[in-house]
Amino acid sequence: MKVSLFIPCTVDLMMPEIGTDVFRLLKRLGMSPVYHRGQTCCGQPLFNAGYRDQAKRAAKHFIEVFGNDERVVSPAGSCVTMVKHHYPELLSDEPHWHSRAVELAGRILELSQFVVDTLGVTDVGASFEGKVTYHESCHILRGLGVSDQPKKLIASVKGVQYVEMNSATACCGFGGEFSVAYPEISEAMVKDKAGNFLSSGADVLLLSEPGCLLNIGGYLHRNHPGKKAMHLASFLAENA
Amino acid sequence: MHSRVDKFVETARRELKVELSQAFLLMLSLGAPIMRQIGLSSFPDPAAAEAYSRAVRAEAVDRLPELLEEFERNATARGVQVIWARDAAEANSAILDIAQRRGIRYVTKGKSLVTEEIGLNEHLVEGGVEVFETDLGEVITQLLSLPPFHLVGPALNVPPEEISAVFLKKGIISEPTTVPVELGKAARAYLREKFRHLDMGIVGVNVAVAETGTFINVENEGNIRLTKSSPKTLVAVMSLEKVVPTMADALHLVRMVCRNCTGQKLSSYVSMDTGPKKTGEIDGPEEVFIVIVDNGRSEIYRDPQARQILRCIRCGACANVCPVYAKIGGYPYGFAYTGPMGQVMNPLLLGIEACSDLYRACTLCGACSKICPAGVDHPSLILEYRAREIRLKNGGSADFRSRAGKALASLLSMVMGSSLLWRLGVKCARPVLNRFARGGYISGIPTGPQAWFGCRDLRAMPARTFHEQWQDLQAGSGREAS
Repeated sequence: MKVSLFIPCTVDLMMPEIGTDVFRLLKRLGMSPVYHRGQTCCGQPLFNAGYRDQAKRAAKHFIEVFGNDERVVSPAGSCVTMVKHHYPELLSDEPHWHSRAVELAGRILELSQFVVDTLGVTDVGASFEGKVTYHESCHILRGLGVSDQPKKLIASVKGVQYVEMNSATACCGFGGEFSVAYPEISEAMVKDKAGNFLSSGADVLLLSEPGCLLNIGGYLHRNHPGKKAMHLASFLAENA
Repeated sequence: MHSRVDKFVETARRELKVELSQAFLLMLSLGAPIMRQIGLSSFPDPAAAEAYSRAVRAEAVDRLPELLEEFERNATARGVQVIWARDAAEANSAILDIAQRRGIRYVTKGKSLVTEEIGLNEHLVEGGVEVFETDLGEVITQLLSLPPFHLVGPALNVPPEEISAVFLKKGIISEPTTVPVELGKAARAYLREKFRHLDMGIVGVNVAVAETGTFINVENEGNIRLTKSSPKTLVAVMSLEKVVPTMADALHLVRMVCRNCTGQKLSSYVSMDTGPKKTGEIDGPEEVFIVIVDNGRSEIYRDPQARQILRCIRCGACANVCPVYAKIGGYPYGFAYTGPMGQVMNPLLLGIEACSDLYRACTLCGACSKICPAGVDHPSLILEYRAREIRLKNGGSADFRSRAGKALASLLSMVMGSSLLWRLGVKCARPVLNRFARGGYISGIPTGPQAWFGCRDLRAMPARTFHEQWQDLQAGSGREAS
């Protein structure tokens, strides 16, 4: 199966190790992922802000870049939601582009979804002695309906102890522009998320969404140094 | 109702610091969803029950004009006088007129959001008719002149001390008390007197049934039933989307509204009225009016994207799961409708441009639409309003900020649309951003989105992006990339 990596801009520019971890993980599972050097940003920030015409241009570029891949896999559920659910809507008045968007929507997957559902793998051969918890990011959980897959991957790690944190499915308060437009509300939300992580007693907070990681990770770095949040792909790759 | 939606940010900031609001909101956001789950689990198939209520509301809204006519026919046939009000002014003056013609000095009211929307109380008072709210929460907000804190529980956050003080001032109690039961009892005794001599009552409508002309009210205090059954004249005020085709549909919505609102299988009181007292009957109002309020809803009905908001059944479940509401409470929404349904309803009633904060202060987490028993997709509407705002602002009289916003968006769009420009942008951004990095993290920047750094750090941009590492990565693995 030909797998193409969609490395979202947050990962590419801010947290490239997540990208390399995804690559390593997929290699380990016998894949030879390709990476199109022409990829940019899926346009979600523009779309969410209401700049639909401008978002269209990014969407069309994305479709041109990924249009022929058998499977497109990404470590960011929010960006996958954008492509899968919002591209067809965004391009609904341009039949040619719309049909390409609908067609692509059927081929794009979030990483854990691809590994567990498509490849049928839950044990990637990782082991970790310690306690972890998992934050259910909004667009992965409610946008894509993905919840069991990452938990299965975590449960299959040898030696790991998984604890569920309180309000695991509550939003962390990132919301892209929201975090800078309404910083006080965003802070109150991320503070709760960090508090629930701390009180869970877990050593590591795992998540599968780079946006949440920027937010929660940045909050922990400022307020609870030493407490760690990390992407599930990194956790699996580093401990495999 | 006077809108305070322009004060969203300052009200939210204030509420974030009010300990009592915060403690209450925490309790609500943790407790209410559990109660709802317990309530729904009493259905043999909760998913089917949700699908049914969503289907009922979808059908009702799509067949709205026809169902309203059927409702009017059947209600009129049973002796109800139906009044159509195009806007708030028409509704208010029709109701005041009913009161004045009968020499009514005061009315009691059941909790009704649409009457708050149209500002009925203010209008009646100005016209010389005193108004007594009878829902305990509404009594308290009315006495304290507070806006609603929650769609269903408008005074849930008011501490007993404050209630005691205002009850003392109004002579409802003679000795101060903070015992909730005592306060409730005092309010009950005070309201009983109003009911005893009542000539006209005003209520809202939870569901109206097209096939019978019946209107149904759901409540827990009995105040609506008393308001409906005590007076000679009963006026029901109904926003025009409340009608459903059949009694079976209506009863299912009653089941759903109770479970989603308080987790109850059924509220303590459910009353159904089909026309006034008939000859030979011993009680009930002698005349019944139903005021069907449009107030912009025909416009919403004609709007293919926004129409779905008319499906809302006002259960308030969306607020109970909204992470933003859980932090700021109902006051910032600044109007009759709070929480996610307010975020999508108020902009249509007050204008898109006046309500920017309502649809921007949202993380698009989707918790609201996931649980909505009426099938409203709030995030899609919020995204739609944002797009409309941008289109409106980029019209003729765009101010500097919106012109700058558009220019930035267009620049970003151009960059995202071109691999070359994108890579060039990345190369330029790194040194600019990393100038402020210490120990691999940035704790503040002198300009731009500084608000990020109020509570958070940002990792410095790495020396090499994934893109820049790719060649080495694939060389290491000995594979070709495209």
